[in-house]
Amino acid sequence: MQVLGQDEPPPSALINQGTEEVVEAARAASIRSGEETFAYFEGEVDEALAKAIERVWDPERPRTPSPRTPWGDPDLRGFWVNGTYTPLERPVALAEKPLYSIQEAIEVFQGDVLRDAAVDPATVHYDWTEFGMDNWQSPIPPSRRTSLIFDPPDGRIPPLTAAGRERWEAQARRDTLHSRHPTERCIVGSEGPPRVPFIQQIGESHIIQTPDYLVVIRQSNNDVRVIPLDGRPHPPESVRAWLGVARGHWEGDTLVIETTNFHEDRTWVRPRGLGGNLHLIERLTRVAEDLVLYEATLTDPTTWEAPWTYEIPWPRMDPPGIFEWACHEHNYGIINVVRGAQVRAEEYEAQSAD
Amino acid sequence: MTHNNSNGTRALVLAAAVLLLIGSRLAGAQTPLDDTAASISRTAEGRPDLSGIWQSFTTANWNILAHSAETGPHDGLMGVWSAQRGGLSIVEGNEIPYLPWAAEKQKENYANRMVINVTNDPSRFDTGDPEIQCFRAGVPRANYMPFPFQIVQTPEQVFMIYEYKGAYREINMDSDSLAPNDTWMGWSNGRWEGDTLVVDVTGFNGYTWFDRTGNFHSEALHVVERWTPLSPYHVRYEATIEDPNVFTRPWTMSFTLYKHIDPSAQLIEFNCVPFAEELMYEPLGLFGR
Repeated sequence: MQVLGQDEPPPSALINQGTEEVVEAARAASIRSGEETFAYFEGEVDEALAKAIERVWDPERPRTPSPRTPWGDPDLRGFWVNGTYTPLERPVALAEKPLYSIQEAIEVFQGDVLRDAAVDPATVHYDWTEFGMDNWQSPIPPSRRTSLIFDPPDGRIPPLTAAGRERWEAQARRDTLHSRHPTERCIVGSEGPPRVPFIQQIGESHIIQTPDYLVVIRQSNNDVRVIPLDGRPHPPESVRAWLGVARGHWEGDTLVIETTNFHEDRTWVRPRGLGGNLHLIERLTRVAEDLVLYEATLTDPTTWEAPWTYEIPWPRMDPPGIFEWACHEHNYGIINVVRGAQVRAEEYEAQSAD
Repeated sequence: MTHNNSNGTRALVLAAAVLLLIGSRLAGAQTPLDDTAASISRTAEGRPDLSGIWQSFTTANWNILAHSAETGPHDGLMGVWSAQRGGLSIVEGNEIPYLPWAAEKQKENYANRMVINVTNDPSRFDTGDPEIQCFRAGVPRANYMPFPFQIVQTPEQVFMIYEYKGAYREINMDSDSLAPNDTWMGWSNGRWEGDTLVVDVTGFNGYTWFDRTGNFHSEALHVVERWTPLSPYHVRYEATIEDPNVFTRPWTMSFTLYKHIDPSAQLIEFNCVPFAEELMYEPLGLFGR
């Protein structure tokens, strides 16, 4: 848990979870050290790294034509993983460096994997031998990109407008149900649209295709998007949806999905500050037998001063695919999180009163 | 303007107007639909293609047995908005063969059908109709809720996507796979018997109801569905229900599904979680201290 980036947390923030004393105490109490947890995974890590470095994602490599469905459309069918170690925004130090060399990409990936596999006992809340769904345990490739965002060229989300900044502040999570994100309330899953990678083990999706529809079923919250390909228009603005309303059409080998009509109360964990005015263009292209390239352009002049675009390669995932995710059915999490925040807020107020 | 022969002129104008009217109605006339069994659309493999948007038009979600129209909940506030239509039974024989304990349990369910006690204790079972809380409807109820659902059919799988809550089912075709876990919507294996899609559904978690009157089952529920197209626009749906924990024998329900034919037909998101939150969470103080 991170303390929200402020020196003086507001009374209703989730506080003291991440203080150094608490973390040190958890490490001291753990039956296993970070080194021991890593040793448990070391063989698997070596194997995963050996496979991964053969499949570095290189945006500059020429693409081959997409395989086709029996009825002749580019074939996007299958199970695909939306996961990565590449940060969404480019570190400021790398502003002028949009691409690593292949060798650099491999070294950065290895570092990320080793850090991920070395579990800090203070941060694990499941039995660490069971929670085996780190990114490196999926077939995600190293990438030459230094950030997922490549437009604007500095690889960073454009500045917020004044309205966007206001919305950012308003979206701080507090001790009420309505201040929590729609993902915590099980209204939507953790990844959009757009598919901004969230936490690793829920980035899977299943793409089903017919001549008339593309259907995307996500593991996270089992969100289903039914995307007509017949050129029908979007409904009027008076029809809104938490997942937006999508329309798809082919441009060469690429499926272009245009999504609007987002619910007025829609917010995102990432990117924060965005509201229901999002105009989203997503592009899906099968760039290899085992890879779909996902690209998204986000436009909302009420939130950012300019649109921005990012891409992430989705490796193929083996079956079994998606399981039922009955998030809202007995969502104890939201009850405990809000009550916990209320308790913390009361404690904080009591401390401040002393 | 002359008024010579004005009656004749008027008659001509009238006749012309009538002809124009008939002509425009003919020009706007729709081609009648071909709804014969012979024109059922088929896949490349020769099977019926059930793809499309379907909906049943019974009152079974309220009560799967025969019932009159009745006053609804909070009628002092809502008047006719909450009233319910009457309807005939979708259950063959209009009788559910409950074991004696289960017949009593159904009455208890009915009495408590709107009592929602959300807790964060996983060992307790919340009361009330799961539909009130926007929980998944399960099978077969999802098929007779007053919402459309979309079938997307591929050779390997048939997907059913329900407008209610965006719940979905995957029907694994020609598979004898076992349910990996218990779920709300069950685990569905399907096969064709002639033109009938037979779906065997198991792996239920036992939490769903059959309707709003508290007709229920246990996690041992076993449903065998038969989806038989009668025309390109009609499907006959039958489901045989078995649950030795609850019923003395299997029993069957059936009704007709109708296809939405407007080219603009689509599921409109019905994400009911926000509609249930005040009922569920306000009593726990989650709306504010």
